[in-house]
Amino acid sequence: MKSFKEKGRFEITLGIKESVAEKPVKIVPPAEIMSVYLKQHLGVPTQPQVQIGDSVKFGQILGDLEENQKVYAAVHSPVNGKVIDITTQKNPFSNKVEQIIKIQTEDAKTNQVFEKLNPETASKEDLLNRVKKAGIVGLGGATYPTHLKLGTPNRITNLIINAKESDPNTSSDYRLMVEKPDEVLKGIQVMAKILNVHDIIVATRTKEGMTPHLDAILQEHGIRVVRMRPNYSIGSEKLLIKEILGYEVPQGHYPPEIGIVVHNIATVYAVYEAVYEGLPLVSRGITFYSEQTGGENLWVRIGTPIEHIFNFLNISPTIFEKTIMGSIFMGPSLESLNIPIEKGTTAITGFSKDRSKPYADEIPCIRCNYCNIVCPVDIYPQLIMEATKKENVTLLKKLHVEVCIDCGLCSYVCPSLIKFTPYLLKGKKLIKT
Amino acid sequence: MTVEERSPMQFEGIRPPHIHMGFSKDELMLKTFLMLSIIAIGSSIIMGINALIHILTALGTVFVIHTLIISFQKWKKKPVSYDSYTSTLVAGMIVGLAMPIAGPFYITAAVALVTVLVFKFGQNWLFIRKYINPAAGAKTVLLGLLSIMLFWEESLSIGQLFHPHHLDLNLWTAEGFEASMWIFQRVTIFGRDLSATASLLFWQTHGWIGGACGILVLIVGSIAVVWLRYKWRIVGSALLTMIGLAVVFGLIVRDDILLRISFHVFTGSFIFMVFFMATEPQSTPLPEISQIIFGVALAVITFFLQLLNVLGGSIFALVLLNLATPFLDKIGFRKPYGFKSKKQRRSLR
Repeated sequence: MKSFKEKGRFEITLGIKESVAEKPVKIVPPAEIMSVYLKQHLGVPTQPQVQIGDSVKFGQILGDLEENQKVYAAVHSPVNGKVIDITTQKNPFSNKVEQIIKIQTEDAKTNQVFEKLNPETASKEDLLNRVKKAGIVGLGGATYPTHLKLGTPNRITNLIINAKESDPNTSSDYRLMVEKPDEVLKGIQVMAKILNVHDIIVATRTKEGMTPHLDAILQEHGIRVVRMRPNYSIGSEKLLIKEILGYEVPQGHYPPEIGIVVHNIATVYAVYEAVYEGLPLVSRGITFYSEQTGGENLWVRIGTPIEHIFNFLNISPTIFEKTIMGSIFMGPSLESLNIPIEKGTTAITGFSKDRSKPYADEIPCIRCNYCNIVCPVDIYPQLIMEATKKENVTLLKKLHVEVCIDCGLCSYVCPSLIKFTPYLLKGKKLIKT
Repeated sequence: MTVEERSPMQFEGIRPPHIHMGFSKDELMLKTFLMLSIIAIGSSIIMGINALIHILTALGTVFVIHTLIISFQKWKKKPVSYDSYTSTLVAGMIVGLAMPIAGPFYITAAVALVTVLVFKFGQNWLFIRKYINPAAGAKTVLLGLLSIMLFWEESLSIGQLFHPHHLDLNLWTAEGFEASMWIFQRVTIFGRDLSATASLLFWQTHGWIGGACGILVLIVGSIAVVWLRYKWRIVGSALLTMIGLAVVFGLIVRDDILLRISFHVFTGSFIFMVFFMATEPQSTPLPEISQIIFGVALAVITFFLQLLNVLGGSIFALVLLNLATPFLDKIGFRKPYGFKSKKQRRSLR
């Protein structure tokens, strides 16, 4: 697989994936100072459960909420250590200043935090409660609390495991499939039990023979493996459903409302760890890549500053003009390397000066239609940009700007180097207000 | 100054995406120029040295005008409208290929001048975008002016719209249509006399330079549509509508259907215009259904203008529809994800 092929025959090179995918995962030790945001999920922020000066144990709750009805996920300490500060810092994902807890690491030891559960004997409620306690969120980048998705009151008929790993700069999910196939299977089985679902599909971009052990055990347990066509945008939850099952999720509704739940394979592994190993979500896999240094697959504790990862890899951050967190299509650029790894961080990518601003020479739109052709959700980025500039809310509603999934493909293909994303985001805000 | 600083949006950090496909407007224009060059070579072989002179006249004129304008802008320390020559050269090539071989060279130079000065730089300066295809706009203005002088005998000899011998043609009846095809029956290549249909398809020695070889335009145009992702719905709907109209009209007046199709589709004005002018990005609609409306309307108007002996009528039709584009951009939207028919949606639980 050399490239992803999008609508309109536009291609995305998979050079990064190819260069990193076969590298085994390296474990990054914790940093001297770990920084843990109290909001690493879609929803409301958690409240600090520790004070400055407190000693904290590995896996101890740092941030939590009592109101059960709210959308949130608990945050845990990634190390044994001492709370040295509770302050605020800009979170690149939300682009807002948020509370962060700084912990002086005492040691890198890990230990079982919760009692191990036997999924065969544990009740659905016990399993669901464990997922909640472990603070698991969607690790594909969306960070919606997993216990809420698994605890849906809707009757679910299809569970889709998204192992497609659509971003061209990530390969950590693939490493899980290669290195932890049995654990992945167990995680899927726990989810299936909670949802009481029998039709399970693992959607993957891998070709036959790339993950032989996982393929074999999935087949053995009656789990279908669907090999997806090489494409970036269908990694999005709603588009994945359409691709596999042929259904569209009606606008304004969520997949569980039509009986479908989609979970990322990294989330599946986190569920395995929570249930079988008694571990909260305090670490995850990421992919680091830069053209100058090549790439690595890493297992990193949440709260590890990016700078520490560079030190671990023996890379001087000064060689990069720009460092981004997450997808190269959707992730934010970092204003500081003090920013820590979050639950939703899938990748770190460094760009040299000549590659750091591919959109710097923007010219006026020539209305070539490329953005409209490539749009995977069939909206009109160019017309939306014009309507946003004029603040024409009526037209923005007619153009259904709310359907945009922020995939960034419209900008990627634009021969005039226009970044549509800010206009689309502003358009969404305009119709809300 | 970076784009973040220049942009009206408020940027915080550098917003995604962080990679680009690497295909620029210049590349698009250069590849379009390459496609047009193939047609230019074909036309020059068929129509001779005069065709080449027309094309070079247009290219030379646009180059000089472009250089003068940007030199003036730089001298006055104004922002330069177009740094790159690529789109200007494409416009020049289109002017060259859109001129009739019988026309004087100074008319070609004049159309090229108006194309760049008024309809390219001028429109951009006034409206920030182009509402009318520059070459079509320039040609309409100039030929319109010449047509006003219709009854001035000298203007008829250089007239582009109502060329004297066209005025006697009657395309509304089978007999009239057949008699009108004499001009295509005079062609002899490699010692063989071509039929009117064959001439229209392969070897036209009069009419638009760009349409000298209808089949070549069809092939090169189709490659360009696929390769460069032109608005294929405009091309497809216009061609199908024109074929449909030709068939229906041919059946009504009972004449040679194949010749009817060949005439209406492969006369240079239509076949060249539909591939390389009606797909000009800025002056044509974006929504898919609107592109089809545009193509259908273009063919219908052109068809009737052809019947009225306005043999460059496609240009008028194009300008007319260019002006309708802002309206067409507000209708004909496809249904986005989540709004498709009930069949494609699973009912809510």
